[in-house]
Amino acid sequence: MKNIEVPALARVEGEGGLFIGLQDGKAVEIRLDIYEPPRFFEGFLTGRFLQEVPDITARICGICPVAYQMSSAFALENALGIKIHPQVRALRRLMYCGEYIESHALHIYMLQAPDLLGKESALELAAVAPDVVKNALRLKKIGNQLLKTIGGRSVHPVSVCIGGFYRWADKAKLQALLPDLEWGLQAALDTLKWSVTLPYPDLEIDYEFVALHHADEYAVIEGEILSSKGISLSTAEYESRYLEKHVRHSNALHGYTVDGGTYLVGPLARLNLNHEQLLPIARKAMEEANIQLPLKNPYKSLIARAVELVQAYEEAIELVKNYSPEGTSAVELKLKAGEGTGATEAPRGLLYHRYQIDDGGLVQFAKITPPTAQNLPRIEADLFELAPKIVSLPEAEATLTAEHLVRAYDPCISCATHFLKLKVEEK
Amino acid sequence: MTTVAVIGIGQSFRGDDAAGLEAIRLWESQFPETAHRSEVRVEASELPGLSLLDKLEDVDAAILVDAVQSLKEPGKIHILGESDLMSFASDSKSAHGWGVAETLRMMHLTQEKNPKILLIGIEVSQTEIGAAISQTVQAKLPEVCKIIQQTVLETLFA
Repeated sequence: MKNIEVPALARVEGEGGLFIGLQDGKAVEIRLDIYEPPRFFEGFLTGRFLQEVPDITARICGICPVAYQMSSAFALENALGIKIHPQVRALRRLMYCGEYIESHALHIYMLQAPDLLGKESALELAAVAPDVVKNALRLKKIGNQLLKTIGGRSVHPVSVCIGGFYRWADKAKLQALLPDLEWGLQAALDTLKWSVTLPYPDLEIDYEFVALHHADEYAVIEGEILSSKGISLSTAEYESRYLEKHVRHSNALHGYTVDGGTYLVGPLARLNLNHEQLLPIARKAMEEANIQLPLKNPYKSLIARAVELVQAYEEAIELVKNYSPEGTSAVELKLKAGEGTGATEAPRGLLYHRYQIDDGGLVQFAKITPPTAQNLPRIEADLFELAPKIVSLPEAEATLTAEHLVRAYDPCISCATHFLKLKVEEK
Repeated sequence: MTTVAVIGIGQSFRGDDAAGLEAIRLWESQFPETAHRSEVRVEASELPGLSLLDKLEDVDAAILVDAVQSLKEPGKIHILGESDLMSFASDSKSAHGWGVAETLRMMHLTQEKNPKILLIGIEVSQTEIGAAISQTVQAKLPEVCKIIQQTVLETLFA
């Protein structure tokens, strides 16, 4: 077989290509070429008033805008020493449930399932299994409705502010979503049962998993940064171990640990590290599906997403039932100079923000480390491990298996190509 | 009574790509007595894929207002029926790279009741990230508003 080359990856967010260089039946070069142009978000956050940051960072991604809002809000609240109201915290978790629902339903059914079912696209899947796709669309839509009810818009919501929310979400409107959420929980349970029956390619990787961890809840918006190597750091300590570097073939930075290793963030990492914190229905469903942890097959991140889809619906129902806003929806800001970090679990994995602000609340420095940037080197390393298994396959099948592996990560290339330092050398 | 969705499609930070969004805002402000009728739903869609699909539910007709690029002179107004739109299918395998045509295909495959579709397109001049709408396209928006108004009334009282 010649080299494996996919000039433009399909069913991923953003623009990138894949190159696997083969020599004597062995992979000698693997590149996930990220040619989507960088967007310099960190650059144009500088000089902005802190209250603008959640709405600007939300624009980094149309699939996970809440993640960007939440990480930035928590980071800037930490910079100001603000403690948010418990009801604000609950409403932020509920908003995040909406994002997990719409993002996971989209990835499971529209982006990865076609690979596992031998279909070219979700359209081809819909042609042979319209009811499956109808249910998927409804599952996703409920997540978007939840986002719209809390955030005013189903994409790029506008309600989150530093200190809380601009206004409380309407209680009656949230409760009106309960029948749909109950339907969604059942559909998510069916999704989980179905997910374990799919024919996943055989690949086991000995990953270092990294995710937020919280003793009392399935960590999404708060917690320590836990590694499966047993290393636990506070959010403020994140950059002491997790770094980024430039590589020649990518407009996205590549994440690595301080000792030069790769690590995995995302649903597999979360489930493997935090399964004991799952809510009762999700945990029971996982046990009944006989899912053996740790899951080490990257293709099976679909199963982890299916577990989290159940968890998100279950938690959303609980949070809606208990929602009782009182008082003001945001604490008053007392501006001061400072620095703050925030980390939350975007659907694709850990999303870290750090900001420095001056005493007028203007951003002096911004750093954003998205999950896909952390996973890119891991994807390339996975492809090296996959290569010996596919070199003897027909070229089309080998290419599809490699492309499927990239898609299983649900990489958000648009998010990852966020910053490029330009060094000009004059001779 | 016929129900109508008037949907502006585009990205607000990409120059003339925002023409559809701006056009429906202008139409809504100029013709509030039509835009605010109970049978009319006005929506903005910054993502033309699956989120547009949700907006096509539960209406008899949908009037899409979108920026188009067909190498004609900037500002040219196109009126396209659904069959015209289907011929623009990009055959994209991505659920993210979907345009209007793929969304309409998915609508036919998954929805039992499909609205009648009409697209009012505005030929773009430039779609750079961070750019404002070009003067050429901006100057055409009042004419687009009149076409939206006429089309909505014709649809409502057909």
